[in-house]
Amino acid sequence: MDILYVAVNILVFLLLAPFFDGVVRRITARVVQSRQGPPLMQTYYDIFKLLGKQNLTPGNVGFKIAPLVALASIISVIVFFPLGHEVNVLAGYADIITVIYLLTLGGVAVLLGALSSKNTYASLGSSREMITMIMVEPVLAMTFILGAVKIKSLGIGASVASVAGGGYGASVIIMLVVYLAALQAFVGRQPFDIAEAEVEILEGPFIEFSGPNLALFKYYMLMKQMFYAALFVVVFIPAIKTGYYGFDVLIQLAFVSLVYVLIAVLGSTHPRMRIDQAQKFYAVLIAASLVAIGLSVYGI
Amino acid sequence: MLTIDDVKKQLKDKYQAAVKNFEAPYSTRLFVDIDKSKVREISNEIIKMGGRYLVSVGYDNIARDKTLGLIHNFSLDRDDLFVCIRTSAPVDNPEFDSITPDIPNAGWSEREYMDLLGMKFKGHPKPKRLILADDWPEGVYPLRKEVPYNLMPPAAENVAYQLDEAPEGCTTIPVGPFHPTLHEPAHFAVFVDGETIKGCDYRGFMVHRGLEKLCQTQVTYNEIPFIAERICGICGSVHATSYSQALELAAGLKISRRAEYIRTIMLEIERIHSHLLWLGIAGHLIGFDTVFMQAWRVREAIMWYGEKLTGNRKTYGMIVAGGVRRDITPELGDELLGILKTIEKELITIHKAIVGDGSIHRRTKGVGCITKQETELWSLVGPVARARGVDIDVRRDHPYAAYDEMQFDVPVVDSCDVWGTVVVRILETFEAIKIIRQALDKMPAGPIMTEFAEDVKPLQHAIAAVEAPRGEVVHYLITGEENRPERWRVRAPTYPNLQGVPAMLLNDQFADLPIIIGSIDPCFSCTDRVVKVDIRTGEKSRLTKMDLEKISRAKKFAGR
Amino acid sequence: MYLMSKIKQVLLVLKPGVVTLKYPFEPHPVAKDFRGQPSWDHHKCVGCGGCAAHCPARTILIRDVCQDLRVMYYDGSRCTYCGRCADVCPEDAITMTEQYELATNDKNDIGVNMELFMLTCQRCGRCFNMETTNMIDKMGLRGFKYDNLETRAVISKLTTEQFDPKMLEESDRFKRPQK
Repeated sequence: MDILYVAVNILVFLLLAPFFDGVVRRITARVVQSRQGPPLMQTYYDIFKLLGKQNLTPGNVGFKIAPLVALASIISVIVFFPLGHEVNVLAGYADIITVIYLLTLGGVAVLLGALSSKNTYASLGSSREMITMIMVEPVLAMTFILGAVKIKSLGIGASVASVAGGGYGASVIIMLVVYLAALQAFVGRQPFDIAEAEVEILEGPFIEFSGPNLALFKYYMLMKQMFYAALFVVVFIPAIKTGYYGFDVLIQLAFVSLVYVLIAVLGSTHPRMRIDQAQKFYAVLIAASLVAIGLSVYGI
Repeated sequence: MLTIDDVKKQLKDKYQAAVKNFEAPYSTRLFVDIDKSKVREISNEIIKMGGRYLVSVGYDNIARDKTLGLIHNFSLDRDDLFVCIRTSAPVDNPEFDSITPDIPNAGWSEREYMDLLGMKFKGHPKPKRLILADDWPEGVYPLRKEVPYNLMPPAAENVAYQLDEAPEGCTTIPVGPFHPTLHEPAHFAVFVDGETIKGCDYRGFMVHRGLEKLCQTQVTYNEIPFIAERICGICGSVHATSYSQALELAAGLKISRRAEYIRTIMLEIERIHSHLLWLGIAGHLIGFDTVFMQAWRVREAIMWYGEKLTGNRKTYGMIVAGGVRRDITPELGDELLGILKTIEKELITIHKAIVGDGSIHRRTKGVGCITKQETELWSLVGPVARARGVDIDVRRDHPYAAYDEMQFDVPVVDSCDVWGTVVVRILETFEAIKIIRQALDKMPAGPIMTEFAEDVKPLQHAIAAVEAPRGEVVHYLITGEENRPERWRVRAPTYPNLQGVPAMLLNDQFADLPIIIGSIDPCFSCTDRVVKVDIRTGEKSRLTKMDLEKISRAKKFAGR
Repeated sequence: MYLMSKIKQVLLVLKPGVVTLKYPFEPHPVAKDFRGQPSWDHHKCVGCGGCAAHCPARTILIRDVCQDLRVMYYDGSRCTYCGRCADVCPEDAITMTEQYELATNDKNDIGVNMELFMLTCQRCGRCFNMETTNMIDKMGLRGFKYDNLETRAVISKLTTEQFDPKMLEESDRFKRPQK
């Protein structure tokens, strides 16, 4: 029966990720930009449309497998996700290092696809993507490590639950602020959608992708966004346990949609940064998260 | 202050025999006929007097005396004077001295006439093809009278424009012909080292519509304002006004004062909507779509008003030779005042929000820098120049329409970067609101149309400039016989400004390319208006989807 | 400072609310003097050809089929909706309607073909002839390039397969008919 929880994880993420994207688009349009905006279901339509289009491949194996690898990696990350604060049976086979590896694998798949398309814009975009990955992943790792330091374990459930589990100390507050500041970079939205920057480098790494391949990449991006939004809820908002799994999941999703509102508002009130400006910003974040880790070692 | 007589005297004293004839039909226009051997010296002399290069006009005079004519136009901004130096060369050996080494901005004009009229320019630093398609046959010069306007040579295979070599250690990033930054087809080859731009080459003129040739051969004076209006999708009235003014000057017609006031109001309405449009586009180019949506929301009110006043929200069709088509009634005037009030209020809040927003400063300050000296050397115009401390504005320097009675400031900023152009444009919008209020207040009664009393005499030269939202528009008109121009040359503001873009791009980040190109408010179709190209290729265009795919794939693999 | 400016921006954008329309379902009426698709009233038209002479885009073409039948064709696919034809029409036979949703799969949908029966001259028994005694000359305008339905057919077949310098000499055939 335990395996059902895993199925629920995957289903919830697969079904809701495009919906939340629709929410972001709707909020951006209605609230901030004074226009009607697309229907909430628009992202589903987009993906369906892309799935029906023709796949154009510039003939390289790496190019063909990259979208599959990306989607597979993010799905396997989601398998371990403690949805409804319920640590499922598979989480026992992995630890936070695995999660970080798998997340990075998704990024590497994007680079693989971009570089094997041999497009100038794609390589420019992939170099930006690479910089973003190197500078932002540490923040994520530090968040896990913060929990791990507290509970002295690398287990997923334990370390995730323990960050805010023991109340909001100084280190947790700093980490929370850092995570919020890096949120837009995690989800690849403005002001940190530098790697895709439509008006500069035309969606960068994804420029040569079309049809189902692009749909897979889109899905990968959407799932990644939802993962980071949900991770914020699981890590920093302490478990409100009702005792019923279903209720817990719903409460968590309600918080996730709040995070999405934040993403929408932040994304629509900032211009895109340049990569050199973003680098400086990330460097500050990394330093701050190191401080948080340092404080947590002393139990503050 | 130099007067016409001073200029005449200085030129006559220095170049005696080389200066053949003076012609000054108005106190603000001076046409000088010179010998072609002294073109370069005299041009430099006028620059020294404080002249600013505008544009060159080449024309076909073969039927009359077997020559090709060339006119270099200069503006003496401090003295309210246009100086046009005219020269000619026999058609068998149409060679002139190039003035590009001294006045880099003349580069395109001269290349244009190499393509279109077969002129040769001695000492031109970059005598490459500028306008004609790469597969256009050699030796066919489309602007000559002998070539029919609808001539269409067959397409040739395997010809391509040779872009400049990339500097050592740089990679080339092709921007265009289709790129979200550009909105219209044009090709920039950008040479980058990492993310830093080290140079660029431009190949544009991909959307020629052959308007000049068309108007010189097909339509009559009265229809040209409507075609001129469609030179640009944003600032149409500007071209129609400029053409009409040139024609009225050539015909010696004085139009009614009320028509001049209405023209002023139309031009300023256009400035407001164009600047708001640009503000939105600039926001989009730095990835700030909210600015885009909000600026356009504010702009919408004036667009609907335009529809109410003229019958169309953008191509007003309001300005015709001899006056305007529709009158502004008192009710419409009151409505305009109300709209201006809301726009002003909203614009003040937007202005404050933008000025206080550090994230916008980060993307625009210190980007696209060129110095004041460089700006003057490249003779850039409009907000681009005014953001670099060059204090020029045709409305004030060469007053036309009703601007001589208007009180307004010309905002000049010397931040020398893209931020400066943002500030200048916002401030100019406030000035435009001010001008419309004054114009509505002072507008005299009277007719709105003045009929041409007699036929326009052939071979009259006239030059008129109008300050468009993007800079100055110059129209040079030589009247012809069959109730249509002999030669009509349009210079849109993007034409000089685009030539200064490589200087602005140098040593900036590739990520800043959209906003730098955007900062001149480029209008490629304004720039590319000259040649005659009929895009309909008949049978050949009927390719199936499979054919197209095959072709594109074949090209792709051939390129590898 | 930074936060204040952001909050101000959010407040600024909240005020107007949603301003765009659900366009195809919720039409926006156009202004009173809108210049939409021109419409011809064949009862009023006298077939003078003034609109054809003044059309900047050359979308109004005229052909005399026989002595007393004149065909006027309005080619809407190239029309720029400047409203010049409505201005010059001496009989007010042309009005600019409020139609602007003119997208179509077939460009003939927005064309108008009018067959006008012309009165003949009592003295010579013919109606006045556009092709040799150009009406435009009578109106005191010169430089009118006479476009008729046949030229229209020529324009679309103009692509040349092989370029030949002789083409320049043959270019006479594109000249307007001599008077």
